[in-house]
Amino acid sequence: MGSLAVELFGKRLKNPVMNASGTLGYGVEIEPLWGVETMGAYVTKGLSIKPHHGNPTPRVWEERYGMINSIGLQNVGIERFFSHYFPFFEEKKCPIIVNFFGFSEEEYVSCAAGIRPHDLIVALEMNLSCPNIKKGGISFGKEASAVHAIVRSVREVTRIPLIAKLTPEVKNIAEIARAAYEGGADGLTLINTMPAAVVDIGRRKVPLKGGLSGPILKPVAVRAVHECSIEVPIPVIGAGGIMDTQDALAFFMAGARAIQIGTATFVDPFTMPKIITGLESWLDDNGCADISAIVGITHE
Amino acid sequence: MDDIPGKIIGNTTVAGGFRRLIVRLERPLGRVTPGQFIMLKIPEREVFLRRPFSIYDSRGKTLTVMYRVVGKGTDALASAADKASAMVLGPLGRGFTVNKKNTCLVVAGGIGFAGVRMLLKRLGESGTLFLGVTTGDELKIAEDLEGPRLLTATLDGSRGYAGDVVSLLHRHLDEYRGKSPEVFACGPSGMVKSLRKLLEPSGIPCQVSVEERMACGMGLCFGCVVATKDETNPYKRVCKEGPVFSLWDLSL
Repeated sequence: MGSLAVELFGKRLKNPVMNASGTLGYGVEIEPLWGVETMGAYVTKGLSIKPHHGNPTPRVWEERYGMINSIGLQNVGIERFFSHYFPFFEEKKCPIIVNFFGFSEEEYVSCAAGIRPHDLIVALEMNLSCPNIKKGGISFGKEASAVHAIVRSVREVTRIPLIAKLTPEVKNIAEIARAAYEGGADGLTLINTMPAAVVDIGRRKVPLKGGLSGPILKPVAVRAVHECSIEVPIPVIGAGGIMDTQDALAFFMAGARAIQIGTATFVDPFTMPKIITGLESWLDDNGCADISAIVGITHE
Repeated sequence: MDDIPGKIIGNTTVAGGFRRLIVRLERPLGRVTPGQFIMLKIPEREVFLRRPFSIYDSRGKTLTVMYRVVGKGTDALASAADKASAMVLGPLGRGFTVNKKNTCLVVAGGIGFAGVRMLLKRLGESGTLFLGVTTGDELKIAEDLEGPRLLTATLDGSRGYAGDVVSLLHRHLDEYRGKSPEVFACGPSGMVKSLRKLLEPSGIPCQVSVEERMACGMGLCFGCVVATKDETNPYKRVCKEGPVFSLWDLSL
């Protein structure tokens, strides 16, 4: 039988399938349906030094083939995550990737510095789509120089492998990828949601501006994964509109070493287990011994 | 909990804009607490996310929900044909808690009736329903309800009390003094606000079923929150910590 096991940042994961940050709660909520240990790793909800209350409603809006969200990074804070939720992952021996964010360089640095290495922590994933309050609210992820600087600052305070999660709202994502790599990132997650808005025709208002996700985003994500995995020699984790096994295969072939599923879970909460089974069958049907064999196979 | 495939076996108008959908499930939904809901995958390609619906009735493999066409999802649902497939995830959320020592006064506004129908069935003759609708014709939605005492209000004044349902409750509240009344409510936000105004002086216990736009329905996305008085963590998930909350915990 073909193997889905992958090595990522020096740790062996039983498969390359994870949730996208913020789309599987704190991991405990999916328990009535299937266990988080089904995945290669669980990616935490975005965590910050202090708890965040998040935004008022509406926070979600449906679009054709996708959705827009503006949750506002509601979270319990890093300290509470580790005291309250982490024991659940320890009990299940489920590897985790800790997604974190800040509104200043200092906040990113103190987040990363505060997380002690642990056997189950595969990596830290920096959300670079946050606005930099000190620089007029421009997101950290938009300028190569800013990405380089903040990744380097965080890199200096932690031994845990570091993933930069990039926003697609940039002129040249390969250039941003290179900046993250040269700043010391061990991997990249591509891509975060894209800025979007909806109009409520009846009320003649814009009820929500936020991040666009879902299958509408997939081709954009595939392109980013393809370009960046050619540009830099570090693992790329693909995310953006993956709905089924075929979508997942496209990301691996484009160059992703692992994938994250987000919005699809809201449409069908069993999407991840189904994709894991689907990938196993695909390997068998195609006489492929190892998923790694197709990673980046489209690169010439 | 399970994601259960089903087929639509009924999808008809009950009165005005109120429709009833009956789904024959492959497996039973299992034990349902009144006030819980399901996430329904509407059999229409253009509808991307599932939609939440209160469980109106659940018997064995037969699930009923009542809905009103209010947007793209319910519009597509209204035209869903017989035998169309529909995935049903549930039962979800935290429902009503009934204390048998209390006198249960159920207050429903419009389609909010769908959220308390199961509770009313459980309460039987011990329950009282204050039902408010726009027109007399819409009172048909409660026609098959046997057991609870029924008091009605219509905004057009054509039947029952002429006015809103909270004013109707106001007129009768004194009858329940000393009988440990508890209110169970589901309806539009305006109704919930005037309910709070009415009950605030007495502080009568009141459980209210809240509605919000949802994406996952299971507490995964934090999309469907309601503001509460909890200062350290004000936004609670309607799908997970709710949809039923104590009115006195909400920050309306």
